[in-house]
Amino acid sequence: MSNLSNEAVSAVENLNRDYISALDTMDMAGWLSCFNQQGSYTFIAEENVRRGLPIAFMLDDCYERLQDRVTQVVDIQIDSTEHYQTRHFTQLMSITEQEKGVIQASFNFSVYYTQKDTNHTKILCVGRYEDTIMIEEGKAQFKHRKAITDTNVLPRYIAYPV
Amino acid sequence: MSDQTTQPSLVWPKKYNEIPKAVFEMEELWPKELETIFYGEEWHPIVHRAEIPNPGDYKAAELGEMPIFAVHGEDGEIRIFQNTCTHRGTSLITESSGNKKELECPYHRWLFNLQGDLVGCPNSRDYAPGFDRKNFGLATLRIEEFYGLFFVTMSDKTPPLKEYLGKNFYEPLSRILGGDGRLKLIGYQKVMYDCNWKAYCDNDGYHAPLLHKAFALLNWQGGKGVQNVSENGHLSFESELKIPDDITALEDGSILDFKGTETSTGSIVQMQFPVTVYSKHMDMLNIRYAFPKGPKGLEVHYAYFSHEDDDEEMLAHRIRQSSNLLGPCGLISMEDASVFSRIDIGNKTPGNAIFQKGVEDEHKLSFTVKQNDESGNLPRWEHYRKRMGFERSET
Repeated sequence: MSNLSNEAVSAVENLNRDYISALDTMDMAGWLSCFNQQGSYTFIAEENVRRGLPIAFMLDDCYERLQDRVTQVVDIQIDSTEHYQTRHFTQLMSITEQEKGVIQASFNFSVYYTQKDTNHTKILCVGRYEDTIMIEEGKAQFKHRKAITDTNVLPRYIAYPV
Repeated sequence: MSDQTTQPSLVWPKKYNEIPKAVFEMEELWPKELETIFYGEEWHPIVHRAEIPNPGDYKAAELGEMPIFAVHGEDGEIRIFQNTCTHRGTSLITESSGNKKELECPYHRWLFNLQGDLVGCPNSRDYAPGFDRKNFGLATLRIEEFYGLFFVTMSDKTPPLKEYLGKNFYEPLSRILGGDGRLKLIGYQKVMYDCNWKAYCDNDGYHAPLLHKAFALLNWQGGKGVQNVSENGHLSFESELKIPDDITALEDGSILDFKGTETSTGSIVQMQFPVTVYSKHMDMLNIRYAFPKGPKGLEVHYAYFSHEDDDEEMLAHRIRQSSNLLGPCGLISMEDASVFSRIDIGNKTPGNAIFQKGVEDEHKLSFTVKQNDESGNLPRWEHYRKRMGFERSET
């Protein structure tokens, strides 16, 4: 992390905080605003990554797909989901500057969920984020966020991104 | 697995369209279901060759509560063994998939080759007088292959696989398996559903346009279609796909493109008794292996495939379509998962679940089913009832 300015590290930490805060408050517009116009998002099982298999749980490989993810959650499946409150816990594990303004970062994550009908809390998934982050005019946004879940068998269907 | 399994007591309603809700909730049914269904005269798909394409590749699975694994031998043959050392019973495979040159039990270092032969057992000169290495190969299961998909059965009496599936089932299945079985694995989505296994496979033709709001929002009209049902409970849906040219609800409508060459049928969904679903929607080739975890909870492994002849564009399309439309987060399927667990909650109430759509006579079983009927599930329930030995009420 030594070659990075404190401002850059802060920008990355702030972006990650905005991201998990948006998800924990079910603010999908806030989630979308964490990505830039070239942004993409993948949520994939570790087993597939390890075996070189490309199938993901969510594969939003362009900005339009990110917008459609919001539509899916907010408009299409809103009344059929058994809703749950998430709490995302993350820890920055590595951060390097690839080139000026382009940062590679990795966070560990664990996500708890409290199902709204039972009020019981369980672990949704545990894994790591692998991120490519662009900093432009002091503002950081994801070019790509890849959530790799060690929890290869999800404990339930997942309505919202992780 | 023994003949001593207690016969659970459940009186089946007189009317063919009524299913006792208790059938989803009575935990004492599970030992009987294991005996008569999972270890009985049924075929269960375990692995496609594309999942273990190279010698030494293996895949772990379960048949009922029994751990098994499939392995690709040095001779190119795929075999399915019980996952247990023939000495003291230690499991041999501990990961869901991988590659091994041989199979060694760590406990006393008994060693098996990929064909299942016992090839090493330390200090065997001190073994019991009756020991003969030839008798201690890995326990195999009866196996049949269809277009690269390998099925097992525990019973010698199960009819040959094609007879068991019937032509109305295996012909569409061959198309889900790429038309020639030359598939490539592109990955898995795995999930636990919080329901009895029978709730999972009780999905029907009635719900599709009603539950799945994506269909309406996308102005996605169901084309002509058929349901074929068999006496032993298999159900096969086929329908045309009519996807509108302009999908205004999505920014990126290309996710719904149908690039396949077969214009006749864009959508095939098949439910093989007891608990396997196969589907081909648009360009997604999907096998859903399902593993009941006792009377409650079902682990489903969605396996997705491409075809060996796909060009790069088609492969990329299959990957992004499969990753986003089906499975536990899918645009056109997530609601199913929600219903499985809600059925399970609601069925803790007394009485019967009563099927309506397509039922012409409550007192007769019909095998004529229209595309959007739910009556196609009733032959499966009748097959289940008979397998389980439940008497139908006379009043």
